[in-house]
Amino acid sequence: MAWFLVKRLISGVLVIFAVATLTFFLMRKVPGGPFDTEKIHPPEIQKNIDAKYHLNDPVYVQYYDYMSELLKGDLGPSFKYRNRRVQHILMDTFPVSAKLGLLALLISVTFGVSAGVISAVKRDTVIDRLSIFGASLGIAIPSFVLGAFFIWLFSFKLRIFPAALWETPRHAVLPALALGLGPASYLARLTRSSMLEVLAKDYVRTARAKGLSGAKVILKHALRNSMGPVVTVVGPLVAMLVTGSFIVEKIFSVPGMGQFFITAVTNRDYPLIMGVTLVYTTLIVIMNMVVDVVYSLLDPRVRLE
Amino acid sequence: MGSKKYFHPAGLAMAALCVVISANALQSGCRGGKGDSSGALRYNIHTEPPSLDWSIATDHSSIMVVDNIMEGLTRFDEDLNPIPGLAESWEVSEEGKRYVFHLRRNARWTDGRPVTADDFVYAWQRLLDPATAGEYAYFIFMVENAEAINSGEIKDPSRLGIKALDDKTLEVRLCRPVVYFPMITTFICTFPMRRDAVEKHGDAWTEPENIITCGPYKLVEWRHEYRMTLTRNLSYYGFCPGLDSVIFYMVNEDSTALSLYETGDLDAVNPMPPPSIPSYEDRPEYVNYPYNACYYYGFNVTRPPVDDPLVRAALASAIDRSQLPRVLKGHQLPNATVIPIGMKYDNPGLGYDFDPDKARALLAEAGYPGGKDFPAITIGYNTQESHKMIAELVQQQWNENLGIQVELRNMEWKVFLKELQHDPPHVWRLGWIMDYPDPDAIMSVWLSNSGNNHTRWKSQEYDKLVLEASVEKEPARRQELYDRAQLLLCKEDAAVIPLYTYTINMVVNPRVKNFPQNAMDLLDLRRTTIED
Repeated sequence: MAWFLVKRLISGVLVIFAVATLTFFLMRKVPGGPFDTEKIHPPEIQKNIDAKYHLNDPVYVQYYDYMSELLKGDLGPSFKYRNRRVQHILMDTFPVSAKLGLLALLISVTFGVSAGVISAVKRDTVIDRLSIFGASLGIAIPSFVLGAFFIWLFSFKLRIFPAALWETPRHAVLPALALGLGPASYLARLTRSSMLEVLAKDYVRTARAKGLSGAKVILKHALRNSMGPVVTVVGPLVAMLVTGSFIVEKIFSVPGMGQFFITAVTNRDYPLIMGVTLVYTTLIVIMNMVVDVVYSLLDPRVRLE
Repeated sequence: MGSKKYFHPAGLAMAALCVVISANALQSGCRGGKGDSSGALRYNIHTEPPSLDWSIATDHSSIMVVDNIMEGLTRFDEDLNPIPGLAESWEVSEEGKRYVFHLRRNARWTDGRPVTADDFVYAWQRLLDPATAGEYAYFIFMVENAEAINSGEIKDPSRLGIKALDDKTLEVRLCRPVVYFPMITTFICTFPMRRDAVEKHGDAWTEPENIITCGPYKLVEWRHEYRMTLTRNLSYYGFCPGLDSVIFYMVNEDSTALSLYETGDLDAVNPMPPPSIPSYEDRPEYVNYPYNACYYYGFNVTRPPVDDPLVRAALASAIDRSQLPRVLKGHQLPNATVIPIGMKYDNPGLGYDFDPDKARALLAEAGYPGGKDFPAITIGYNTQESHKMIAELVQQQWNENLGIQVELRNMEWKVFLKELQHDPPHVWRLGWIMDYPDPDAIMSVWLSNSGNNHTRWKSQEYDKLVLEASVEKEPARRQELYDRAQLLLCKEDAAVIPLYTYTINMVVNPRVKNFPQNAMDLLDLRRTTIED
């Protein structure tokens, strides 16, 4: 396993490097610069800005400078938030998104897997149909519609949760639900189909024939073996959820990093675009490694080589 | 200072949320809310202030904060007249090129040190230092040698036309008389600055633990991307500010901010999401008044067929501006001229009013009777719902009134700006928010050498009129000059079609008294109080 991890680590670093390089050059190809506003700067002011942020250097020089600083752990100054460095912005916002994302993940996995298992076990019953209907609804309704609905129901009508802001644990409930219910629905459907497949296997029938209780058969034998596809999805899902959602964070005014996936691009804040891209890519690489390791733990037939 | 928004599918959900909030607003009266905090005003500034360094800050959110923790030589009164700020008085030389400001003896920084003339000299030199790369350095280009220092032509900053005659006397020399100069010194980039704080803390000097200020409030907390807290500055020279504290939230989404107002977590919301406005119009806390900003359509006068002034005049006469407030829902003020309604020297009657018969006659005179053989023209705008609605309305009106085909093209904001600079479409939209309440702030946009003049229209007569008006002291003569300039720009040459003057639409909780309401949307909270 150690050799496997070393190999994956090396390929992961190469992936991150490739993504960083591609992003660096692509974002500079997009029309419009970081300091373009409706009020055009006089030429001398534009020249000063370009000089300060090295925007008039050849792109390959800018790339070399950026990568050199990156190796030292410096993600550079934000072009939008001019008194702050990108690593500080990410350190302020990533923990918020991670907290919200992990809560959403907890909701997704708990609701999704439970609903999927129950639905598979109670196949073709009212419970199953309700569960499928609910899951379809959860997949079809975008998080921002759910968010608006939750604010109406829980903040205006029932008055049990705050409409927005990020102060107490109660403030996290609605955004976590809005963020987590979509993936929960997807996981429910995935778990159900995977579970149905496993429940039809011979070893499950054998386990039942040996007189094992239904719960034991499901939880010990069927559930574990049906988790493969779920784990595959949960890996990238973790990366997606903990880096924040632009929409949900915006609706609930959560000070996370999700906003930067959009605003950094619209502002052409090159260093911040690089920062969020690097964080996301790194998490994807890590989660894919984790998924591979979890595979081998779930299924002894999988060998990490 | 201008703000921009971008389109997102979430806009549909935001609209849905607005409907929810509006329905709630109709059902209930104003609530104080559970989150009430006596003496603390909670207000939304929309976004994280990109910087509180007043040499480099340009965004509205930064300006709102800095205006409350700092002060300049002058400041605006409630009617937007410049009045003494840190300078208790000043003298202007006969030819209008030399100002001597006398600083208040009792003006102090938050660390107790007196505010001195040297603090202004340092701030202005730093603003113009090429290394600072201050985007608003041009604000003081009228000061002697300012432009040359900013361009690096002059290396010695002491040659700048600002001098501390003594600790409390500041001399400013201008390269030309500027009648509105006391307005310029209300703007944040001219505020004094503490060299020791900047040099000691570097980029972090604006953090609450490092910043030294001298305004009515002081910064005590800054949770980035979320919230800022100011408290009353007890060392402020003036009367004691009315609020114990001010909490600025950074809620990006206007409909979310309105939800928070409804749940009692915010005390005022500005702007309101347009779909919600009708349901608040009858409530006492709803406020609407003109904003010093102009929404206009510009022509690329080098691109046929709008290179013909007759065509432009026909297009300008074929727009029924009275439809705009119905579409936009914010009580916007239709205006056929560029100087915003309600501002000094406005004269809305000068431009082209809606006259479809005249428009058809003008188009026929230009060689396109009934719109026959008129090539399709394009309206370009940046992606945002309100710009789309306006463009569709104009497209429909031009089609109905002139029989011409109009294509609409929306672009992402920065792509749109790039296109305006390099190759503008036939017609394009822009809004101009004024940096100071003097017509010069908008009329100078269309000077021949202005980088903001995307029309490609150049008029020596217009240049002469606007430059003469900027130094003219006599109000009647200034009015004449600006009237003539507006007539040239909006009617005779019709290089632009002004559409409307922006308005402010906001709600303010009735327990908040003296909340600032002015056409510059300046947030000066020193007189604001909260009643229990």
